[in-house]
Amino acid sequence: MNRTLISIVIAFSLSACSSLGIEPWEKDQLARADMALDSEKLDLALDDHIYFSKEGSSGGRSLAGGGCGCN
Amino acid sequence: MSIQEKRVPSDFALSHRSWGHSGSFRAMASPCELLINSEDESLAREMMAIAACEAARIEKKFSRFIEGNPLWRLNHAGGEASAIDAETASLLQFARQCYRLSDGRFDISAGPLMALWRFDGGGIPAATDIKQAKVLVDFSLVDFDDYQLQFPSGMSLDFGGIAKEYAVDRVAYLLAEQWPTISVLVNFGGDIACPVSKGADTPPWQVGIENPQRLDSAAALLEIRQGALATSGDTRRFIEKDGQRFGHIIDPKTGYPVVKAPRSVTVLGPNCVTAGMLATMAMLQGEHAEAFLSEQEVEFKCFR
Amino acid sequence: MQLKNSSNISTALAIASCSLLGHSAQVYAGDDKQDDWKVDAAIMYYGEQDRVQAVEAIGNVQKAFGDESLLDVKLVVDSLTGASASGAVAQSQSQTFTRPSGDGQYETAPGETPLDDTFKDTRVQVSANWAEILSPVWKTNVGMNASKEFDYFSLGLNGGLERSFNKDNTTLVLSGAYTFDNVDPVGGRPVAFSSMALRGDYDSEEEYRAAFAQTRMEGSNDKKTLDMMLSVTQVLSRRWLFQANYGLSSVSGYMTDPYKILSEVDDTGTTQRYLYESRPDSRLKHSFYMMTKGALDSGVVDFSYRYTTDDWDLNSHTLETHYRYYFSGRFYGQLHLRYYQQQAANFYRPFMMAGEPIPDYASADYRIGDMTSYTLGLKFGQRLSGGHEMSYRLEYYQQNPENNGFDLVGQLQDHDLFPEVKAVIAQVSYSF
Repeated sequence: MNRTLISIVIAFSLSACSSLGIEPWEKDQLARADMALDSEKLDLALDDHIYFSKEGSSGGRSLAGGGCGCN
Repeated sequence: MSIQEKRVPSDFALSHRSWGHSGSFRAMASPCELLINSEDESLAREMMAIAACEAARIEKKFSRFIEGNPLWRLNHAGGEASAIDAETASLLQFARQCYRLSDGRFDISAGPLMALWRFDGGGIPAATDIKQAKVLVDFSLVDFDDYQLQFPSGMSLDFGGIAKEYAVDRVAYLLAEQWPTISVLVNFGGDIACPVSKGADTPPWQVGIENPQRLDSAAALLEIRQGALATSGDTRRFIEKDGQRFGHIIDPKTGYPVVKAPRSVTVLGPNCVTAGMLATMAMLQGEHAEAFLSEQEVEFKCFR
Repeated sequence: MQLKNSSNISTALAIASCSLLGHSAQVYAGDDKQDDWKVDAAIMYYGEQDRVQAVEAIGNVQKAFGDESLLDVKLVVDSLTGASASGAVAQSQSQTFTRPSGDGQYETAPGETPLDDTFKDTRVQVSANWAEILSPVWKTNVGMNASKEFDYFSLGLNGGLERSFNKDNTTLVLSGAYTFDNVDPVGGRPVAFSSMALRGDYDSEEEYRAAFAQTRMEGSNDKKTLDMMLSVTQVLSRRWLFQANYGLSSVSGYMTDPYKILSEVDDTGTTQRYLYESRPDSRLKHSFYMMTKGALDSGVVDFSYRYTTDDWDLNSHTLETHYRYYFSGRFYGQLHLRYYQQQAANFYRPFMMAGEPIPDYASADYRIGDMTSYTLGLKFGQRLSGGHEMSYRLEYYQQNPENNGFDLVGQLQDHDLFPEVKAVIAQVSYSF
């Protein structure tokens, strides 16, 4: 049930996408370095590693990955 | 060029924007602004200091309102030869080229004529005064080489027609030399230069061109990544008499401001002095301004 | 006025201006690329109260090749020391455990949570990633990574394809990875549910060794992971963007933790023996992630939610936010909050009862039990001259394991079987 609900939400957001957006010259704010999705990639990588070792789930923001003997 | 004179401290304001920094100061009777595509505040400050200093230096040197400055001394040589530096020589050479290309209509020796037409609240000068002044306007009588300058007593030189554009280019190139990867747009009251291109991954610089009917509100929005722009027009300096506006481009052949000149001409060029001179020449064309610029195959905008 | 020939004037002027200005009129056709090297480095300390401590150092070097290619090389070194919970329960008596290698043992005082302090390991990981812009709308990337620690080796390949639509307002990314892990535990892999051999139970060293060997299986063990992710990023407005990801992960192979045990207790709660845990050899995981990020005038804010579920019945919810505020053009502070809640895997149990049949799988590792965890962090960053940036952060991370419904018999009620784990994270980063 939960799974169905969530996949519907994602599908809906996909279909709503085509009407949203801005012109290329309006990208000034989004072009900021601190708005890049990987703007703090070292922090995020270190965090992901901690939570991957100390908790039972992983992934979400990026590929779940293996690569260490912690969990 | 021996430009290194004593650095004159200049004041400027700097503020942070989403795309970088914007700095401003006043020079050459215009609001001067720099748009700097860098998040680095100390770098922006360095750039502003250079810009404000250079603008102040050029103004101090070539302003016709400062008694005792280098230009004043040249204009009060009483017919004797004066020593000139490399920068002055280059400007004189450029002025001579412009004099020839414009068939004598652009003449920096029109100083005496300029003095009559003071666009600061006074009225139209008397016809006899104009006639007298015209005699003293003739660039062909100005003799110079790389080191010396000499012209008949009573004549005077005025760099007002090119000093602002020259300052814009000088500031722009000084900054581009030191920081070749940072896009900076230099804007001295509508005379603009941006030698270092604004990256394709960011929006271009947006510049508003004034509508002469209404000061301080942009009419057309120009997007510029690289290049220069100059505006010639009466929007800020003019005399109004009997409902007629007299623009500040004086035609040395007649002694009067050009008739049927556009209210404002904006031209895009590779650098500001070129764009500025094209704009001035277009104004001197009067009603043929648009035709002239079309033939030059440059991008422009005229307001009438 | 007679016009000179057409565009001769503008050309002549342009040429004249060159002499005036002293250089080419077409100056600086803008190599608008910054310096094509970018280096990020960070060193982090993770310390749990009385338990595990780790130091991790990362260096990432990025080099742009032209306008279309990017190479990323990363090196990670981390070092772990300290003790972590073995899965055995606390008792009113002191307890003795055999170390994973079979050489030596360690003791736990009465009332204390048994912690195995054998773990002292250093791991080195190297990864490289190549990203390429194929066209204005297609991008691709491919990478590999390898890591090695004393008892563990991992090798992985990953790749992705990205397509943008709608003037770059919508981006769709499909990525996948295959990882091969090999674990060769210290002392060999334990036999599932075998009873821990304790030296004290045997008269001679040889007998003990023989018994210990009975609990071991020779050889190393593999684990293969296949990951896939579908990601959609959508620009909502000038200041906001949104991302939604669906991830699927299929793991097969050895997933048991060779160092974890369960206590088997009688109905007074007294431990009879210790059994080595056993986990299934396959796991299918789904993750759903949504995030929104906003550019504010004086900062940045992001909110994210993640839901995971798998065939071990371990479900989790994660809520996270970062809020950055610029105090000046070069100095910012950032708040980090994270809430995590997980539901135990179906084979998790805090202990075993003597007499009940041994199940297929069981583990008392609190990390796959019911748990809620909280993170509170503060980060400060400074922009230095030349585009360098330095930042430092301090975080507090607390894990609260919970009982997922087991009756605590006998003396077990006198002890905290689900102690909180409190950790501090400190990190300094530098980039240029």
